[in-house]
Amino acid sequence: MMSKLHSRINLTRRAVLKIGVLTTASLVIGVPPIRKLQVSDVQAADAAQSSHKQLGFSYDQNKCIGCKQCVYACKKVNKWEAGVEWRKVHIIQTDKKPIFLSMSCNHCSDPACLKVCPVGAYSKREKDGIVVHNSAKCVGCKYCMYACPYHAPQFGETSGAISKCSMCYQRIDEGQNPACVEACPAKALQYGDVEELKKIAGAVTQIANLPPAEMTKPSFYIIPKKDS
Amino acid sequence: MGEIWGWLIVIYLFMGGLGAGAYLTSFAAGRGWIGKSPALQRVGYYISGPIVALGTLLLVFDLGQGLKKPWLLIGLLMNPRSMMTWGVYILACFIVVALLVGFFTWKKKEVPKAFIFVGAFLALATGTYTGLLVAVVEAVPFWNTYLMPVLFVVSALSTGISITSILSYVMEKGQKTDERKVCKIHIVLVGAEMILLAAIFASMFTGRHGAVGAESARMIFSGSLSLPFWLLLVGVGLVIPILVFIVNYFKLSQHQSKVQSKIEVVSAASYEGQSKALTEEFDCSRSLLTVDAGVIIGGFILRYVVIFAALPIWNGVLK
Repeated sequence: MMSKLHSRINLTRRAVLKIGVLTTASLVIGVPPIRKLQVSDVQAADAAQSSHKQLGFSYDQNKCIGCKQCVYACKKVNKWEAGVEWRKVHIIQTDKKPIFLSMSCNHCSDPACLKVCPVGAYSKREKDGIVVHNSAKCVGCKYCMYACPYHAPQFGETSGAISKCSMCYQRIDEGQNPACVEACPAKALQYGDVEELKKIAGAVTQIANLPPAEMTKPSFYIIPKKDS
Repeated sequence: MGEIWGWLIVIYLFMGGLGAGAYLTSFAAGRGWIGKSPALQRVGYYISGPIVALGTLLLVFDLGQGLKKPWLLIGLLMNPRSMMTWGVYILACFIVVALLVGFFTWKKKEVPKAFIFVGAFLALATGTYTGLLVAVVEAVPFWNTYLMPVLFVVSALSTGISITSILSYVMEKGQKTDERKVCKIHIVLVGAEMILLAAIFASMFTGRHGAVGAESARMIFSGSLSLPFWLLLVGVGLVIPILVFIVNYFKLSQHQSKVQSKIEVVSAASYEGQSKALTEEFDCSRSLLTVDAGVIIGGFILRYVVIFAALPIWNGVLK
């Protein structure tokens, strides 16, 4: 009888091991292809970008007067849906004058939104790297709202879809400036080829508590406030 | 910033794991890994397809535009880089296979072996996917750990065994399962879940996932989510069940040798003695099934705290 009991215990142990092995196996099989896929995509995207142009915004905190004309122009031109904000002027209150940061979508060279969107509503334009979101394809799952560290994708309750800054690519295609850039009276907000923006003295892609730039490689160059 | 994903996603992730776990319970029972109970071999197959299908349906209701324009849903298959697209394929395949296996089992027809194995693989994939969906999001530090899918799979198996045990008892009119073996696997799974949870919290609190990861962990540990976490997940879902499973495991181990000898006596003796022996076992079933319900509640609360503790790496306020 005892031997019978023992063989039962052994069988259970084996079963437990088997389940463990199966679980691990499924994880091992499941995880690497996904990681590889993402890595190869990034590499492909990087390779593509080295030969293609990438447009981006630049913003000088020393020049900004906090008038929010960029926000109003964007809202007017792009006809924001109720409750969404494509561009926002962040304000840091200090002892002296407040410090501003006008930010929209950063048209990242490694966009997280594009990678998570199940319907492929995001695309990166070949010719200038602008990240465009097609609201007509969007099902409204909001996955991109978690993925984007800058909160660029905005959910509209009325439409049930996401929308975000398109860098006014239609205007750019017609040879015009993006609405926000056009509206800035202090010339604090500019746009251009990131290769040029990088050369601006003191330009950085991360300030204060903004997310680390390595995460998505934003095409947004900030000239931080100099202590005066 | 308000919540992005709410209760429907919590229920969906929970049901995905529950259905996958139920399938794997019947699969394991069919292979003789958790005793030879005929009930356990069937009931998991019956319920897995409907549970996952219902959960997926709820997901559709959480969509914004997709609900109003259902033709857009076909687009969900379009981005092979998206974890969600993978999930749609995995869930769709699993639902079909699980419903077929369930149907065959119900009709008492022999299920093609290949089907059963494909279903088991897809069940594991389903459980893994529910965790990977959140784990790949880099901008949410609390989610962005590969321990998350492991935890979700373990919880899926654990809740799956529990729901299958309860429904086996109800549907098959108290037919006995091999409680000792089921207890043992439960101890292993709930124990693993506790270790995984501890590991995740340790890595969050030590700052490996940054200040925001630690803040999410604090939210669960001592903040707004602490009551359901400690009471329903740790208490009702883990500690009480594992204690009851351990106690009953040892009782059943002792009982097993006793019953063997008793049955020999009883079969010769009166009907009274026989029913007494049966009643003894009945009591044990009750306590096991009660903590099984606890395990299921715990599994649900696990998804709840994980989804609701999703603090973004940057909260949108410049400091």
